[in-house]
Amino acid sequence: MATLEVKDLHVEITDDEQQKSREILKGVNLTMNTGEIHAIMGPNGTGKSTLSQTIMGQPAYHVTQGDILLNGESIIEMPVDERARKGLFLGMQYPAEIQGVTNAEFLRAAMNARRADDDQISVMAFLKELDKNLALLNMSESMTERYLNEGFSGGEKKRNEILQLLMIKPSFALLDEIDSGLDIDALQVVSKGVNSMRGDNFGSLIITHYQRLLNYIVPDVVHVMMGGKIVKTGGAELAQMLESEGYAGLRDDLDLDVKLVDED
Amino acid sequence: MEAIADYKQLKTSVAAAASEYGEPEWLVERRVAAIDQMATLALPKANRFSIRDWPLTPTDQPLISSSDQSLTADVQMEAEHVQLVQVGSTTVMVNLPTELADQGVILMDLMTAIKKQPELVQQYLMTVIKSDEDRLTSYHEAFLNAGALLYVPKGVTIKQPIEINTVQDSTREQPLVAHVLIIAEDNSHFSVTHHLTTKGDVANVANVLVEIQARADSEVHYSAFDELGANTMAYMNRRATIARNAKVDWAIGMMNDGKTFGDFDSDLVGEGAKSDAKVITVTTKEQNVCINTRVTNRGKKTTGNIVQRGVIMEKSNLIFNGIGHIIHGASGAHAEQENRVLMMSNDAHGDANPILLIDENDVLAGHAASVGQIDEKQMYYLMSRGIDKAQAQRLVIRGFLSTVIGAIPAKPVRDRLTNTIERKLEDGIEL
Repeated sequence: MATLEVKDLHVEITDDEQQKSREILKGVNLTMNTGEIHAIMGPNGTGKSTLSQTIMGQPAYHVTQGDILLNGESIIEMPVDERARKGLFLGMQYPAEIQGVTNAEFLRAAMNARRADDDQISVMAFLKELDKNLALLNMSESMTERYLNEGFSGGEKKRNEILQLLMIKPSFALLDEIDSGLDIDALQVVSKGVNSMRGDNFGSLIITHYQRLLNYIVPDVVHVMMGGKIVKTGGAELAQMLESEGYAGLRDDLDLDVKLVDED
Repeated sequence: MEAIADYKQLKTSVAAAASEYGEPEWLVERRVAAIDQMATLALPKANRFSIRDWPLTPTDQPLISSSDQSLTADVQMEAEHVQLVQVGSTTVMVNLPTELADQGVILMDLMTAIKKQPELVQQYLMTVIKSDEDRLTSYHEAFLNAGALLYVPKGVTIKQPIEINTVQDSTREQPLVAHVLIIAEDNSHFSVTHHLTTKGDVANVANVLVEIQARADSEVHYSAFDELGANTMAYMNRRATIARNAKVDWAIGMMNDGKTFGDFDSDLVGEGAKSDAKVITVTTKEQNVCINTRVTNRGKKTTGNIVQRGVIMEKSNLIFNGIGHIIHGASGAHAEQENRVLMMSNDAHGDANPILLIDENDVLAGHAASVGQIDEKQMYYLMSRGIDKAQAQRLVIRGFLSTVIGAIPAKPVRDRLTNTIERKLEDGIEL
């Protein structure tokens, strides 16, 4: 079993234009184990994406206090690629496009990156795994010979993130709004992909605005974030409650002094 | 520029050597006349770059000498290829399938062509690039000692790429003055891959000219992989004259290891003529490189595109000039260009200069230029999948350069270009 712990995490981002730092996370605490699916919900601008990017190691986010531990080892000083090889994966909201590098070549490079030099995956084994996962995600084989994300539609990019997840098989997948911009069919396919990973050796932290995704990927734990902190944690029923009451209702129940971005 | 003490003496010795080699009188006369031009003409000029101190016109070596054929041992020669292989002035292999020869296609080394196809060579040699343009073109005609002729008759389509391998013999002091003359008659269609390499470490000059005469409705795809050695100082001039509704595409991988000055020109003469010029380069160490890619729209409704992409490493210097010239009267002309330089070292220097000279109102012209660092968003994405920094950089750079790699039709050359780029990146990237 693997464990990911976030302890009293404070994170700042520097605004290049204004040359000013702004604190976004203000003391986040979270513990998750493989075998569990956690969901983080919360209004816009509350720090959900910042949390996932900071766990992955995006260089623009600066940890000013607290720690992130993977299996008891602090990872906040580690570069992004090392964190990935230790078992973290971030399904991104806006994946980069890379011309001239095919999807298949990229996937092999990513899989081989976490294997020893004398244990690189064979072409046959790779293709077999690839075909299986393409079928699961209703993706056409031609997607693998296209350049990485280049000219992909929003839905294709999201499916491609999940394809990478299935190929790389991380211990923990942070999925940042993988439901945004998906129609209902694509949402079902993406959910099927994530659900196929469920098991003792896989944990996921799913970030979403909407409860809808959680009908398809039923979480074990739901956290609500507001104002840079986790303000409430519960089971799947918490998501249902939010759907009916809204974030403002929860804020008022908890008597929090948080301004919601979309509120006048 | 080295002083040439005695032009009279030089003319006498060049004429004697050429005659001894059995060259026809017209060529000997042209060589001698070109020496006269050398005395008065200036070196070619470029924006933000000078080759004033480059000794590009050596005259002390023999005009023509033979080279050891075994120097081409690593050139892939296949019986089924349409191919010409030359080391220095020595031709190692010419392979033209009978069915192409029967259709009138000519592929031979230039010195043989001068003897066997004198009218053709006399009619076309130095007509796209003229010997009296500057000191290096006149030097070229005076000291010409290698090259090839490719003639494709009217209406002939050749499916296989035609491969020309030029190996510079730098096991001794001897300039390589090579000329590839390509004539595409009306409505002919074919592609050429030109691969230049150097054997040996002796410091030498390479003066390489490629002329393409593209007649009406013809389509020529010319791809080049320049891989001249670190001790070679190179002057490369490639130009096409493109007639009515003809099209010439260039895909040039300029991977020389030494100083290089390149002029790549498309002259869109006929109405509806098109050209698409793509140039990539990777500069390393203290290399000094200037590439001028030019499109001149003369005819109405002509279309010219330029894409130049360079990666600069270590202490190298790269100047990309993209020159779009639309002549008065070329109404409906279309000219686009994009020049990009990726800086992989703070000690490297690069410039991307779009130069637009537009003398006509009814045109569409656009340009983009940038000198910048590697895209951090792409790096983060690749590294978030566990790929280490060095490999991620190589992938992003290869993507940046992929525009030319994919355009080379001959797979062995394409693979070798990929490998050469990888080697340069591995050697040159500072982490």
